[in-house]
Amino acid sequence: MDITNKKILVCDDSILARKQLMDAVNEIATGATFIEGKNGAEAVEFYKNENPDIVFMDIVMPEKDGTEALAEIREYDNEATIIIVSSVGTQEQLKKAIKLGAKDFIQKPFEKNQIKEIIESRLGGQ
Amino acid sequence: MFTQFLGNYLLRKGIVNQDQLFTAMSKLSQSHIKLGTIAISEGLMTANEVDECLYVQTRENKRFGEIAVDRGYLTDDQVSVLLSHQTPDYMLLGQILVDDGIFSYEELERIIFDYKNDSELYDLSLDIENQDAVQTILSKFFLIAEMQVTEHNIMYLELMFNSLIRFIGEDFTPLSPMVVDEFPITFGVSQAILGDREFISHIDCDRETAIAFASRYAKEDFTEFNEYTVAALEDFLNLHNGLYIVNVSNDTSKDIALEPPVVTEDGVLCGAEKCIVFPVAYPFGTVHLITCF
Repeated sequence: MDITNKKILVCDDSILARKQLMDAVNEIATGATFIEGKNGAEAVEFYKNENPDIVFMDIVMPEKDGTEALAEIREYDNEATIIIVSSVGTQEQLKKAIKLGAKDFIQKPFEKNQIKEIIESRLGGQ
Repeated sequence: MFTQFLGNYLLRKGIVNQDQLFTAMSKLSQSHIKLGTIAISEGLMTANEVDECLYVQTRENKRFGEIAVDRGYLTDDQVSVLLSHQTPDYMLLGQILVDDGIFSYEELERIIFDYKNDSELYDLSLDIENQDAVQTILSKFFLIAEMQVTEHNIMYLELMFNSLIRFIGEDFTPLSPMVVDEFPITFGVSQAILGDREFISHIDCDRETAIAFASRYAKEDFTEFNEYTVAALEDFLNLHNGLYIVNVSNDTSKDIALEPPVVTEDGVLCGAEKCIVFPVAYPFGTVHLITCF
């Protein structure tokens, strides 16, 4: 699958988690441009600067957590495609993320298939 | 998980040393349970009868089941049942130690009997589904450390062992836990759990152990201590705590939260009350899992 010209913002405070997610995308698609953020504040800043096609966002992060960043990005762009990827998959967090406009919620550790489905459905037909 | 508990018991009682145990644990994934071991586990044959059949098997070209039936120790029906039986995983560890010459089948039979008594598991068969047995053994860990046994403490420890099995590997042995006022940090990561009952979780080990632990977690071959190895430890702790708060949230409808993990390279770990240290020995080193209340 060719997703050249697609920008993917991967926001997680763990360098390993970011690498694993980017590796998973690169296994199924070629040509993506990645932007990496280490916290919610960077997620908002990089979203506004780079206008990515999709965002993968952790919740538990320093400075600004993922749900705050999600709310801010959706306020800036209510069409933003944001996928939450978190170890904290409580019903409360899930409802909150969906209410704030997250398009999907993936519980860590993710399966590569889950990333594949997201990439195909969100970027495949564009 | 019973394999790990049995390993702890064998070490605690001085029946095996750490090297013998690690050697046996490393063979778990490549080994298969034998019919004789299952028959002992099910109480259908004595260790002496199994030894006799194994001896005969070295002289006659027959299967173990055929020999046991010929000698009247088992019926054909019992052999069929045993072959389809799901045997407790800890018996495989016992069998490997017998094969390694550490003890005999007769001694294994007695060890398992004593182990069940020691763990107060008189009427329980230790199969994978037996949640009561898991909780009984986990309670013992808290009693050893003179800690209060609560539902949440047990759940946290059970999840911790499950997370280790799932993300790092089953070849570990939990060593005896300790309660301390302070824990001197070697290297580690800490994460605070916020809510009604707040505590700090911490994972601590030396750098060489961290590299091996991280390699297993990330399924990569790290050769040096760097930001990826640190991140792997953080991710492990974060995943484990994430599972814990999902469980607590599902059980109590209370929402609790996690702070981001932080790296701690020196100093002393302490809580408002005390810390409980769960050392876990892997072949590559010992990892200390600590919770401070």
